[in-house]
Amino acid sequence: MNHYLSLILFLPLAGALLLLFVPKQNDDAIRWIANIVAGLGFVLSIPLWFWFNPQDPAFQFVERAPWIPSIGADYFLGVDGLSTLLILLTTLMGSIAVLSSWTAITERVKEYYVFLLVLQTGMLGAFMALDFLLFFLFWELMLVPMYFLIGIWGSANRLYSAIKFFLYTLAGSVVMLLGILALYFYNHSQTGVYSFDVTLFHTLNLPENLQWWLFLAFFLGFAIKVPMFPFHTWLPDAHTDAPTAGSVILAAVMLKMGTYGFLRFSLPILPEASRAFVPMMVVLCIIGIVYGALVALAQKDWKRLVAYSSVSHMAMVMLGMFALNPVGITGSIIQQLNHGISTGALFLLVGVVYERRHTREISEYGGLSKVMPAYAAVFLLMTMSSIGLPTLNGFIGELLILQGVFVANKIWAAFAASGVVLGAAYMLYLYQRTMFGKVDNPKNEHLADLGPREFATFAPLIALAIWIGLYPAPFLRRLDTSVQHIIARVSPQYNERAASAECVSVPTPELMAASPGGQFLAAAPCGPDGKPLTPAAAGAASAVPPPVPAATTGQVSSPQAAAQGAR
Amino acid sequence: MPPGISLSDFYYILPEIVLTAGALVLLVVDARLPRGSRALTWVTMAVLLATAVSLVPFRNTDVEVSQGLLAVDQFALFFKVVFLVAAAMTVLMSERYLQVEGASFGEYYFLILCSTLGMMIMAGSIDLISAFVGLETMAVSFYILAGFIKPNQRSNEAAVKYFLLGAFSLGILLYGMSILYGVSGTTNLRTMATVFVGHERNPLLVLAVILVVAGMEFKIAAVPFHMWAPDVYEGAPTPVTAFLSVGSKAASFAMLLRIFVEGLPSMDADWRLLFEMLAIVTMTVGNVAALTQSNLKRMLAYSSIAHAGYLLIGVVAGTPRGISAMLIYLLIYSFMQLGAFAVIVMMRRKDVVGDELKDLSGLYHRQPFAAFAMLVFMLSLGGIPPTAGFMGKLWLFGAAIDAGYVWLAVIGVLNSAVSLYYYLRIVVFMYLKKETIGSEPTLSPALTLTLGVAVAATLVLGVYPGLLFDLAEASARTLGASGVTAAIR
Amino acid sequence: MITPTHYMLLSAALFIIGVIGVMVRRNIIIIFMSIELILNAVNINLIAYSYQLQDVIGQVFAVFVIAVAAAEAAVGLGIILAFYRNKETVNIDEMNLMRW
Repeated sequence: MNHYLSLILFLPLAGALLLLFVPKQNDDAIRWIANIVAGLGFVLSIPLWFWFNPQDPAFQFVERAPWIPSIGADYFLGVDGLSTLLILLTTLMGSIAVLSSWTAITERVKEYYVFLLVLQTGMLGAFMALDFLLFFLFWELMLVPMYFLIGIWGSANRLYSAIKFFLYTLAGSVVMLLGILALYFYNHSQTGVYSFDVTLFHTLNLPENLQWWLFLAFFLGFAIKVPMFPFHTWLPDAHTDAPTAGSVILAAVMLKMGTYGFLRFSLPILPEASRAFVPMMVVLCIIGIVYGALVALAQKDWKRLVAYSSVSHMAMVMLGMFALNPVGITGSIIQQLNHGISTGALFLLVGVVYERRHTREISEYGGLSKVMPAYAAVFLLMTMSSIGLPTLNGFIGELLILQGVFVANKIWAAFAASGVVLGAAYMLYLYQRTMFGKVDNPKNEHLADLGPREFATFAPLIALAIWIGLYPAPFLRRLDTSVQHIIARVSPQYNERAASAECVSVPTPELMAASPGGQFLAAAPCGPDGKPLTPAAAGAASAVPPPVPAATTGQVSSPQAAAQGAR
Repeated sequence: MPPGISLSDFYYILPEIVLTAGALVLLVVDARLPRGSRALTWVTMAVLLATAVSLVPFRNTDVEVSQGLLAVDQFALFFKVVFLVAAAMTVLMSERYLQVEGASFGEYYFLILCSTLGMMIMAGSIDLISAFVGLETMAVSFYILAGFIKPNQRSNEAAVKYFLLGAFSLGILLYGMSILYGVSGTTNLRTMATVFVGHERNPLLVLAVILVVAGMEFKIAAVPFHMWAPDVYEGAPTPVTAFLSVGSKAASFAMLLRIFVEGLPSMDADWRLLFEMLAIVTMTVGNVAALTQSNLKRMLAYSSIAHAGYLLIGVVAGTPRGISAMLIYLLIYSFMQLGAFAVIVMMRRKDVVGDELKDLSGLYHRQPFAAFAMLVFMLSLGGIPPTAGFMGKLWLFGAAIDAGYVWLAVIGVLNSAVSLYYYLRIVVFMYLKKETIGSEPTLSPALTLTLGVAVAATLVLGVYPGLLFDLAEASARTLGASGVTAAIR
Repeated sequence: MITPTHYMLLSAALFIIGVIGVMVRRNIIIIFMSIELILNAVNINLIAYSYQLQDVIGQVFAVFVIAVAAAEAAVGLGIILAFYRNKETVNIDEMNLMRW
């Protein structure tokens, strides 16, 4: 099982190569092969869920081989809980995206599936790579297929949207590349080793001004991908013009690259800078949450509305992350999965009616619940999941995020909560306009309901939404060590307190279930003295900018002392 | 310095001798063969191959020959390989073009070989005189090649412009060299470096540096001495443009490195500053001007100007890492640039000139392989992984950061992001447009070979560049390793 | 007394005249002559330095420059002739087939 990850990683690419040898007139054969490859990819990745050991804090399924020895770059793959979940999400959404394209794509079928499968490899590689250069390679590999997916099979404004997507993302990532290089050379000057090894970078103590610059460089790369306000403007265009599968992949997986980047690279490599930039990040997140929701409320285009809801939801994810406490980060990761599931499903749903009517104008629809009852039911479920109704997945994520943010700062939590409310508003308003009322447009009278293939694309998402909603413990358990690892770097004071279990606040059932070791209980807000902390003080503790190093614990100050000594 | 030349000198310049003899044989063969015989292409390839083989014995040597006129070291070797690869690909793509244009093969191939000879001498020169002679051997051949299609007015115009500006830049360069000679008392670059150690900064010397920089900037087509490039690239026969933009540029960079890193390391504060400014302006102007072009050759001309800017970053860094990054990039660049021009050569048919952007439209449906190849080259020129262009840029910008020129690297990467806009325009025409112009473009076996080699190299070096990195590193270390440069660093 | 410095001043003057000639004249032949002027400025410079340094290399260099300039003149005039045959002009302003 040494090459398990490689197998998952390169299966789609092998499928793409295989497709190249199929004559291009043979559309159905191409579709079958693509679906089998994508489905096989998902099936192949399922053991990852079972074989992954949640107790083991190290990266698992590690593969390492020299890649470019002269510069110290390795072919280095490995997963922890965070990437395991995202990889599973990717393989699932990938196979769903392929399946959903069966009838939607009728021209240049072969190229379409080739690009889709190459894209799949790019995304999986980015989640698996533990070598920064390798990560970057896969990160950029995603751009070209996506560019073509939007540019060739997109709708009206596709060329503009495709190039905008490409240039935006590229501009961010090239600056990130410089950050990677700076880190690489600094690492060499400190350790004398040329390496892009991320696990090595996780142990570095960088001087503060370098951290600031690196944080900004990484921020540009990742924030554009998330996308955070004010870098979000490519997203509505790209989503609106992309074909359905493109939107699904974009929303469900590619946006997660940004948040994954923050979690894997920015926070653990640059802890001091991450703390220092909390105010900026929080302000951008809050603007994103409120602005995204308000703009979504005003949309007349169905797909654009979902796109703006993504902006709002992803800002929520980022806010949870930058609460910089275990609950917030866990919530943020869970919410990433939830966003993948529910927004992915929402884009699929738009795709279903778009395929029948070739319009996305909300005003063109109305009363669909009478014509397409099954469709309306699925849509309702996914709307509720997106809003965060209890018993569905969205609730768990939002609850954890709000809890984490509340501990950090009450005001932020208030803004975040307003996002939830607005989210309910625009989603229900959308639902009302499209599903309820009379069927006043004659073209809608004879729309076919969901077919079996279409239903098959939704079934796994529905199941997941309910599973995470009712019993998230298996997911949370897998995240334990990853979150701890990040927290140990970025907010070490929480780990100090892990020993003292006396301060327990608002334990939710999910958290109890999730933490057999009791970390989550201890991770709840506690003061440095071990007493329960008032939320305001906790906010101060986790958001203190490092110019005055939060000298509450020895662990915060000692790395800096070490770094100064090294200088 | 004792007079006379030893027999061993002839041994060390064996590759040059083989190439010269081969070129002469080619002329004789041409006279014997019926006009328009395609066998000449393969004779030329055989000459290039023989030259390449004759390089093998010198893979580890590091000697000076002919009383310090030429160095036979790994640095020169690396460049010679680049030139031979570029020449071979140019020859392969020329056959079709010359047939369509109805031009004769013999003189053309002879001139290609002569210019290759000039480049090889430039790369090995550690003396101003030999560098100058090599430069002129190359340049005069190119003047003729640029105007090779005599009935074509654009070709005439390109030749006149290239000749006038080339000769003018030569004058400036020589004037700078004459002052260098006057101040140092020697034309040997390595001796010059020792003479200048501890030499106080003298205005005459600064003037000389500026003049030499200006002269060399003409040759590498860096802003503000780039005006000739777009016109010449557009007007010259396409394969010549390809060779000009790769071979001539690489050779000029080799000479530039020899002069500044080997000869003038003590003046590095001055020339670094100059090159830093020139690099920034060159990258930016090249990319911005390319944005609006509708002629492919012209667009690639501006893109090649921008690439000269990226390469100058390596000179500015001046470290062995920067130089090795330049070597890596030049080799990679020659594959992607020549490949792109090979596609344009393919587009030239009896009824279509094929060098306008719109001529490419629908190419994917007519020639999927060529379109895919062009896609790879465009992504590589833009620096997108997993193509070789990414690895090249990575290391160039890495060298800049390592040497402390972070802002230069920032401007570089932003420029490469901008450049993607016009590279993708080409892709848009090939893949996203359907209307087509003129007759079906076809691939000849030679063109297929060129494209295949270029694509394979671009992709393989993009995914697995380790070996190239090692070779370039070793080559860069021989430059200036002997003597002063090492002492100053 | 004429010192090497005087020769260098002469050379500098020739160089500047040549550069200005290249920039302001419109006739291709005259531009070419201005370039020859620059090359001759180089030669004077080289020989003056050679004399000053009592070193023969400068003169060798000058001989090379002369030889190469001759070759260049041959090629250059051929190119200009080819241009003239097609265009019936040697005015540089009429080289306008290719523009931005």
